[in-house]
Amino acid sequence: MVRCEDTHLLLHRMKRVLIIAGSILALLVVVIVGLRMFRPYGFAGTVIQSPEPSYDFTLESASGPVSLSDFRGKVVVLYFGYTFCPDVCPTTMTDLAKAMRLLGTKANDVQVIMVSVDPERDTPGSMEAYVHAFDPAFIGLAGTPEQIAATAAKYGVFYSKQPGSDATGYLIAHTATVMVIDGEGRLKLLEDFGTSPQDISADLAHVIS
Amino acid sequence: MRKIAAALLLVLAGCSSSGLSVADVWGRPSPSVAANAAFYLTIESHSDTADQLVSADSSACGTTELHEMYDAGDGVMGMRPVQEIDIPAKGSVTLAPGGLHVMCIGRLADFAPGDRVPLTLEFRNAGTIEVDVTIREN
Repeated sequence: MVRCEDTHLLLHRMKRVLIIAGSILALLVVVIVGLRMFRPYGFAGTVIQSPEPSYDFTLESASGPVSLSDFRGKVVVLYFGYTFCPDVCPTTMTDLAKAMRLLGTKANDVQVIMVSVDPERDTPGSMEAYVHAFDPAFIGLAGTPEQIAATAAKYGVFYSKQPGSDATGYLIAHTATVMVIDGEGRLKLLEDFGTSPQDISADLAHVIS
Repeated sequence: MRKIAAALLLVLAGCSSSGLSVADVWGRPSPSVAANAAFYLTIESHSDTADQLVSADSSACGTTELHEMYDAGDGVMGMRPVQEIDIPAKGSVTLAPGGLHVMCIGRLADFAPGDRVPLTLEFRNAGTIEVDVTIREN
């Protein structure tokens, strides 16, 4: 026969167990939410911690020479490509234009620059016309073969002429990575070809702030 | 009535009686300064035998070739002509940015959003299929 005291004791113990379990659960929720809130932003691109500013190139735009150091205080998105390129370059420029639209007014703190790795066929004028088709705020730069080689080498950009057909003439294999340079001119991020405009935009927003 | 509806559907889907259907044919608006452009599309086989896309032609391009991008490692991308594109029996192949494309070399007209560019595809077994390339951003 169960006595009344026993039942009371059992109920009391159950209550304590419930309170402890509830407290642990509540604490866990607080810790998880807290960790999520204070977790550092995870960049889609590869983070580069450059101690030194990147190479300060000077190349030719349609309206005169342009140097990287002209954009101190702005985030620079640097891409190496060529106007003859029908696939990877237009895809990347379309994605960058979209990323800039997604940034809204923050886009004013970003300058997209495309540098030609085809000094024989591209000119400052053709580069400007090319990038402006994607976004009128973009800058297109060309240079002599020596200037382009020096700039590409400093940024670890590879480019090499490849045989094409009679119709295409030579083609160029080139590094398709997009580089993000912070306001102090330091290389900060590498975005692989195919990174979504949403990811690029979120990464840029975090480099700006 | 059913037959007419089915036939209409086939026409709408860009389907031919050859056992191949071609869908989602598109290309990007091209900067007028850009000499070249790329066309993308999906080819689906309803046939028990494999087929090959051997060439393409468009009145909007000086020359039209089949090309593929390749990953040369370390973030380097290259492009090279391909002789043909295989469409497996009952399978499909998609020409898409960063992969295979029809390369429009020596573009003869500006491509603006909403434009439709004629494209003739030549298959080894199925013969020719005429499609329209829709110009759009993505």
